Amino acid sequence: MIRTSGTYFDGISSEPRRMEIAFEEGQGQLDFEFPLSGSSSWHAREVSLERLGMAVHLRIGTAPIPFVKIDDAAFITALYAYLRSRGHLPWYQRMLNLGLPVHLAIAGSLLALVAAVYIYFLPWVGEKSVVLIPEDYDNTFGNSFYEEYIGYSTVDSTKTVDLNLFASHLKLNNTKALNFVVVQDETVNAFALPDGHIVVFTGILEKLRGYEELAGLLSHEAVHVNNRHSMKMLCRNLAGYLFISALLSDVNGIMAIVGENIRSLQSLSYSRQFEKEADMDGLAVLAANKIDPKGMTGLLSRLKAEEGKINVPAFLSSHPITGERLAYIDTRIKSESYVHKEMPVLKEIFERLKK
Amino acid sequence: MENFNNGPQEYQLRFYGKGSEYFGIIIVNWLLTAVTLGLYYPWAKANQLRYLYSVTVLNDDAFIFEGTGKEMFKGFIRVFLYFVALMAFFLLFLYLNLSLIGAIILYGGIFAIMPLAIHGSYRYRMSRTSWRGIRFGYRGDRSELVQLFIKGILLTIVTIGIYGSWFVVDLRNYVMSHVRFGNIRFKSNANGFDYFMLNLKGFFLTMITLGIYVFWWQKDIINFYLDHLSFHKGDQEVRASSTVSGGSIFALTIVNMLILMFTFGLGYAWVVMRTMSYVIDNLYLDGDIELDTISQTEDNYTDATGEDASDYLDMDFII
Repeated sequence: MIRTSGTYFDGISSEPRRMEIAFEEGQGQLDFEFPLSGSSSWHAREVSLERLGMAVHLRIGTAPIPFVKIDDAAFITALYAYLRSRGHLPWYQRMLNLGLPVHLAIAGSLLALVAAVYIYFLPWVGEKSVVLIPEDYDNTFGNSFYEEYIGYSTVDSTKTVDLNLFASHLKLNNTKALNFVVVQDETVNAFALPDGHIVVFTGILEKLRGYEELAGLLSHEAVHVNNRHSMKMLCRNLAGYLFISALLSDVNGIMAIVGENIRSLQSLSYSRQFEKEADMDGLAVLAANKIDPKGMTGLLSRLKAEEGKINVPAFLSSHPITGERLAYIDTRIKSESYVHKEMPVLKEIFERLKK
Repeated sequence: MENFNNGPQEYQLRFYGKGSEYFGIIIVNWLLTAVTLGLYYPWAKANQLRYLYSVTVLNDDAFIFEGTGKEMFKGFIRVFLYFVALMAFFLLFLYLNLSLIGAIILYGGIFAIMPLAIHGSYRYRMSRTSWRGIRFGYRGDRSELVQLFIKGILLTIVTIGIYGSWFVVDLRNYVMSHVRFGNIRFKSNANGFDYFMLNLKGFFLTMITLGIYVFWWQKDIINFYLDHLSFHKGDQEVRASSTVSGGSIFALTIVNMLILMFTFGLGYAWVVMRTMSYVIDNLYLDGDIELDTISQTEDNYTDATGEDASDYLDMDFII
């Protein structure tokens, strides 16, 4: 039998009243000596316990008021030990009692699971779900973006005609009609839209040093369209977003932070993977057209020179680090034998585009 | 009950939260929420609130949050259905090519729920909060709050935002002045003009100092609200004040950001504990209300009528 004194709050006034409590460990019986209403006995499992800081609140039944506050550490330990040994502790309490190392392990496994889903499962979902989206949607989606974009840009119509002529002499393995557009912009860049529009800035045309490089650029962008890279990216991002918001509904803001980090890293590496695919397939297109594959390395060297000027940290760039791209393309060129010949027609159109 | 004045009383507010304990609660919640595909969320929230209250201690006694996940779940379902209905109306009018009416309904509906959410959140939170067995309560009137809100929104729009300071202060005065703790009445008598000047000063100094002043601005806002908050019981009174400083808010924020960055977000539990303990340990109460003589005035909510229960909502709209 352990005895202690506690503080009774009757729910009528805030006045603390001393009272005596006794605990009989064998039977699990608690005897309360209430200040006004006399004594009563209850079994430990009929009493709800809540640990509040250093103290414990005891109440009979589930109503939160009135209650008895006990801060005698030895008494609290004995009471909890009894409940634990008889399996009367609520499961939630037991989970909290697992302690920091176990909680850290749970957190670690959940994080690992989230990361695994992101790295292995979502790319697969993106790849599979894109098949369900009709190609029509690529066109609608790409075209609405194109209309929006072109409204704010200046198209160089003479060069646009020449660029389409240039492309017409190449076999780009395209499944849908490709539409090349030259836009006046100093930026050294080009991009492809899912509807087959490929926008090339005058900035990049100025930097290119041969028709092989231009052919490399066009075949790279054509692969993006052929392989529906934009739609795959969209599907993956959407799946990632749904996964985070639906499955783990953000309880603490932790998931928002963790998810955002993984997501941005992942979408970078998604796009790196797509860029590599476009480089490699683009190289194959050059080979099929009997154009010197060095055009691809030349193209990347121009981009690398440009990167040096603006100095974007490589890990923030959506493209694989250009040096890395140069390296794997070089390896591929050396490992295979390429037959190429001069293309005077392409050379002539290229000269016109450079003017 | 004796009602003579015993002179100044001792009040001690302390925060005893531990990062490792709160981390356990968050992780268990996270696990259960993931396993139940998100359905556990209201219960998770109740667990977190219960912990945060229980480690906030006034004169050796902890505050208690008695709300349950089930109650919050019901509130959540109501809000969810409201938004589904709102979206349905919006899409219906869009379909009928009456997009203007649809937009008015959508935005009107979103604005309309805000005062109701504030009212419901206070009704719920206060009714479930107690200390030494004495409940808090919110006695504000729903239609008065709605009127205050509509007036505030309209005047804020008409004055291109300038009235915003008066609006926020009026809202806070109204809500805080209707909070009860047993037979203690809360009172807030802040002034919109003071708040406007404080924000004007804060805004310009923040611009001039390239953002550094924002921490001192934050300090001014905390002090502004506390300086105008008081508690009354008969002719006894308690006033609140704070010893937070811009420099220490700055240090707290920087360290919190570093913790979050270097733990990949997992240090969140410690960040919350640091912030809570900073605010609460710097809070002081001075006055002559005897804490042993507060009497229960709020109903036991299990007896609450249906009309009352429909008011209860927990949307974190606690200002």
